[in-house]
Amino acid sequence: MNGWILAATVELGGGGAAALWGVTTGPTARRVIAQNLTTSAVCPALLLLSQGYGRPAYVDLALLLALLGPVGTLVFARLLSDDLADEGASAWGLTWSAAGLGAVVVLALCVAAGPGRAMVKLLAIGALLIGGNLIASRALAGGFRGVRGG
Amino acid sequence: MSDALIAVTLLLVAACATAAVAQRDPARQALVLSVQGVMLAVLFTVLQAPDVGLSQLAVGSALTPLLIMLCVRKTRRRGRREEDAK
Amino acid sequence: MNRLRLWLLAVGGAGLAALLVAACLDLPGFGGTRHPYGDRAVRASLARHTANTVSSVNFDQRAYDTLGEMSILFAAVLGCVVLLRQARDERRARPEPAEVARPVRRYALLTLPVALVTGLYVIAHGQLSPGGGFQGGVVAATALHLLYLGADYRALERVRPLGVYETTDALAVCAYLVLGLASVLAGTAFLANTLLPYGTFNTLSSGGAVPLLNAAIGMEVAAAVVVLLAHFLDQAVEIEETHGS
Repeated sequence: MNGWILAATVELGGGGAAALWGVTTGPTARRVIAQNLTTSAVCPALLLLSQGYGRPAYVDLALLLALLGPVGTLVFARLLSDDLADEGASAWGLTWSAAGLGAVVVLALCVAAGPGRAMVKLLAIGALLIGGNLIASRALAGGFRGVRGG
Repeated sequence: MSDALIAVTLLLVAACATAAVAQRDPARQALVLSVQGVMLAVLFTVLQAPDVGLSQLAVGSALTPLLIMLCVRKTRRRGRREEDAK
Repeated sequence: MNRLRLWLLAVGGAGLAALLVAACLDLPGFGGTRHPYGDRAVRASLARHTANTVSSVNFDQRAYDTLGEMSILFAAVLGCVVLLRQARDERRARPEPAEVARPVRRYALLTLPVALVTGLYVIAHGQLSPGGGFQGGVVAATALHLLYLGADYRALERVRPLGVYETTDALAVCAYLVLGLASVLAGTAFLANTLLPYGTFNTLSSGGAVPLLNAAIGMEVAAAVVVLLAHFLDQAVEIEETHGS
């Protein structure tokens, strides 16, 4: 077990438990926020695991999660927009700290990887993750209105 | 080697699955299910099965929630129409 | 009658449980060093220049099983198409456009091509890195539905002629079968990976027929998911019952 895997374990344990607690309790708005933050917590952990196992191919998992995780949140934001409009779902403090966590992990891995194609891929994943996270939060905080008919 | 990691992910998956069953509202079940799908993908990765993990991520993170939420929307709409008709 | 059924279920369940326990007792230890099947699979996959052993198992050593899985998906989608068709007492209501915040709409339209390319990348690199036709196909099909999420259902309908996707689905299934029959015509077994050169190890054009079968599965899965979601979306967004029965 090396430092990367240890970091991934800590992040998965903390982030996963917090996400699970958030998604199972409280009003719907809070649950959707927790679902969104799961992506931001787990995607860096997948990157760390890929580095820890020394298998660059595992980065594809993080790429797919960074792409599809926010899409999943958009699904909920769109199809639960009635519930979310009543309750108001915004947690910008959490969102920005999750984005910061993703940025720190991506930067650390970039330093470890050194310049090259691997670094470009890591930066792309980081951009997708942080951008997707911010946009999904924006979508939850009133991104969809009047979708009754569509 | 990394037994602690396996234990953590296994526990998370088990807890998520139990929580998904314990919810009453299908929409909330779908939310827990999507979290559980991501955790399951991590478990597969930890057990060195990234192909299965990728399948789980592809299906579980956006496709399954979309299918479930569309069904929920259809049944809710039918419920609303029946209430209007009364 | 009900009691009999319960007894039958109990006996069957107990038998299954006993067999499973017996099988589990005979498994090699978790994380052990003895992998009789794994060693053989890796040797065979290296002999055919396929870097990803899982792809080699799926599309070369056990390609016949994948044919079965593909038919399951095909049959499932066919069943959904039949069940979710527009019934006689239902009518179509035009979906109203949704009001989507501008950053969300931009994100969806920007991510759509990225996700599409990622899907194709996962399909094309199936023989090299984790991934393959199924995973990539699902990602590509999901990407298309960003149009529904970021704009509205009518935008998606415009780029999604359903007939084309239904035909593609059937054609992809046929392509898989034809690739299998080609090796029969060449004088070997059905779906045997002997027809094409194995190429250079760890490059895109390696693994013989594996990339082609991967592409067929990718096409099939992408089209199947699009058709499946189309019928779910039709039911949820457009189709209404004419009288509240």
